[in-house]
Amino acid sequence: MREMNKKTILLLLLLSLFMLFTRCAPPLPKSQLHFGILAAQRDLWDEAIFRWKKAVQLEPDSSSAHNNLAVAYEKKGLWEESGKEYEVALELNPKNEYIQANYEKFKQRMEKGNEDEDKDKKKK
Amino acid sequence: MRMRTKIKKRNSLILLLGLLFFLSCGTGEHVRLRIEMPRKAPINLGDFEEITITSFLVKEEAKDFDLNKELTEYFAVEFGQKVKNKISSTEVSLQNEEVFQDKTFWQKVSPDKKGTLLFTGSLEYTEEVRKAIKSASKRRFEEPFPEESRIEERRFYSLSLHLYLIDAQSGDALYKRTFKESKAYKNPNQTAYFAFCDMMLNIRDKLFRQILGEEQIQERYLIK
Repeated sequence: MREMNKKTILLLLLLSLFMLFTRCAPPLPKSQLHFGILAAQRDLWDEAIFRWKKAVQLEPDSSSAHNNLAVAYEKKGLWEESGKEYEVALELNPKNEYIQANYEKFKQRMEKGNEDEDKDKKKK
Repeated sequence: MRMRTKIKKRNSLILLLGLLFFLSCGTGEHVRLRIEMPRKAPINLGDFEEITITSFLVKEEAKDFDLNKELTEYFAVEFGQKVKNKISSTEVSLQNEEVFQDKTFWQKVSPDKKGTLLFTGSLEYTEEVRKAIKSASKRRFEEPFPEESRIEERRFYSLSLHLYLIDAQSGDALYKRTFKESKAYKNPNQTAYFAFCDMMLNIRDKLFRQILGEEQIQERYLIK
């Protein structure tokens, strides 16, 4: 019984180490994505853009990287670039609700007269 | 006793393994962020050297004060504080609302100055006293001095302001927007001028937030 327990624990330990360093550990583009998110959370948007651009280079079909890059461009006031990145992200992953939500909000802000006018109309 | 410590050791090992699994695979696929996003400004004020505030077309005059004078002075001060452009003012005679679409009219306002943006518009300011019967509230017990129904007055003010930013060179309206504000006051001492200033504060905030593309908190999702 004791032998079996030891063996099970050892097996589990090896398995988790294997997962940590191989399967579940983020591959390179993923780590760039993650690093970018950490930078964005610390309000370091230039660093985030740099990381997400790298992620796009490594994995051009990553809708996440394009979406994040679009958010960063929006933050920097680069409207055209942002719109293009959102469109690419949606093309790659049209059903993703987060990309859809981001793009909808982006479009609303870009529309002329924007939010204040809408609020005024609602008040009336 | 020995057995117990062994069980404890084994349990802690299992916990550690669980933690390793958790760390290795991560959680969630998105991060929700609240970000201060800039707005897209409808006009780049940096393209202009000077902003000239012209007279306004007043459709209904206020009794106690000069609306045109108040408005031009108010915006001259506010623009002076918010933007780096040179601020000036000029008097023009505006007859009707159609004049804002008349390009040649605006081209003539400051023909010598290049890179001038004209800030103009029209306004309507109305004041009205509304009366209503305020019925006495029903009390469960008799009072020595019961409250009687009486007529109460409220002063209502409404301000409708149509603003334009016009390129003096081309005469094109680069920005136009209508602001409508209304206020009601119970206090009879709160005059039309008081209400005007109160409403102008709201209009000022909305106007500058728009034309300067000031930041606003927005929610966005980053995807892992």
